[in-house]
Amino acid sequence: MTVVEAMERLWPVEISPRTKYLRTIWAEMARVHSHLLWLGLLADAFGFESMFLQFWRIREKVLDLMEMTMGHRVIPSVNVVGGVRRDISPEQKKVVIDTLEIIRKESESLVKVVTNDYTVKARTVGVGVLTKEQAIALGCVGPVLRASGVSEDVRLTKYQAYGDLNYEPIVETAGDCYARTIVRARELFQSIDLQLEALAKLPEGEIAVKVKGNPPANEAVMRSEAPRGELLYYAKGNGTRNLERLKIRTPTFANLPSLLISLPGCELADVPVIVLAIDPCICCMER
Amino acid sequence: MPLMLPTVLKNLFTGYATRLYPIQVREPFDKARGHITFNDDKCILCGICALRCPSAAITIEKEKKELHFYPFRCIVCEVCVHECPTDAIDLIFKWRPSVYEKPVEVHQARGKRKGKEDKESGTKTE
Repeated sequence: MTVVEAMERLWPVEISPRTKYLRTIWAEMARVHSHLLWLGLLADAFGFESMFLQFWRIREKVLDLMEMTMGHRVIPSVNVVGGVRRDISPEQKKVVIDTLEIIRKESESLVKVVTNDYTVKARTVGVGVLTKEQAIALGCVGPVLRASGVSEDVRLTKYQAYGDLNYEPIVETAGDCYARTIVRARELFQSIDLQLEALAKLPEGEIAVKVKGNPPANEAVMRSEAPRGELLYYAKGNGTRNLERLKIRTPTFANLPSLLISLPGCELADVPVIVLAIDPCICCMER
Repeated sequence: MPLMLPTVLKNLFTGYATRLYPIQVREPFDKARGHITFNDDKCILCGICALRCPSAAITIEKEKKELHFYPFRCIVCEVCVHECPTDAIDLIFKWRPSVYEKPVEVHQARGKRKGKEDKESGTKTE
């Protein structure tokens, strides 16, 4: 999605409001799936296997929603330069709203366990602490930065339909793994709210604009808030079929240096939890 | 542990979370990206699908009039389905069944030019 929006800024192409809303809904759907995946993996990292599978069981419902509306379970493949390929029909909208309510209900009981359980707290509170100054100095992004007390989110730049939605970044101040868990858990519910709000406000109209010709000789930067943090695409065209340059900076690349501070001196058993707390995606980073 | 108890009790009295897959198959969603199929009679071997495919899952040999499709490279992004000028590629909503070996589908396409030339030459001689 971000690469498509970077390309749209090259021309520039004005996309329809419905496209913006649909992209927002799908981006938030991906966030719900990613955060549920992460919460499950966190439980797995300190050996809470039953919790891990409970979260993934809920995640399956989001994946079904994604398959129903986008076609694929994880990778959207709906965005094209100028718009989107799929639309959410009124029947699908109803199913999405109902399923999101079920997801919220089921997640609430589990998140209560994650945030209050003694064993979870024993493994996460005070582990891998990153202060506000350190987080800013190392250029952290996303939930890691917000858990250290910095109110920073690319969604505040009001790209896509975020300008019309009621959005406030979720901030915690402790900076440890527990704070990162709380941020992600609260973002999960916020994301569901944003989807419901966007679905309620979904305007009518075209879903795609036709874009003709090669990318013009121009350059564009697009930033978006991926579930793991800020994702940056830089595209430079030269008027030919192929781009001259495409630079991608993924959130894991920005968050990885924080391990330099949080890892030294920790207990060996805490290493999986601390590494997982930045939500690493090594395949995204290695570019 | 006490906090987890309601979930545990609920799980005791609810059904399975999984299906007995090969026996019980969930109906595919409408327009889900299952897999793609080729209609050999419609294919004109223009090569647009091979050019646009991001994962190089389609190759075309014009001399042999063959289209080679590698299903395991295909990411079902649907680009070829949209780009095909003769609608020779269809999207099937059902997922491809699992296999033991990676197959290569070889399609004998009709081809456009030869067919046209034949027709033209046919009309000329007549």
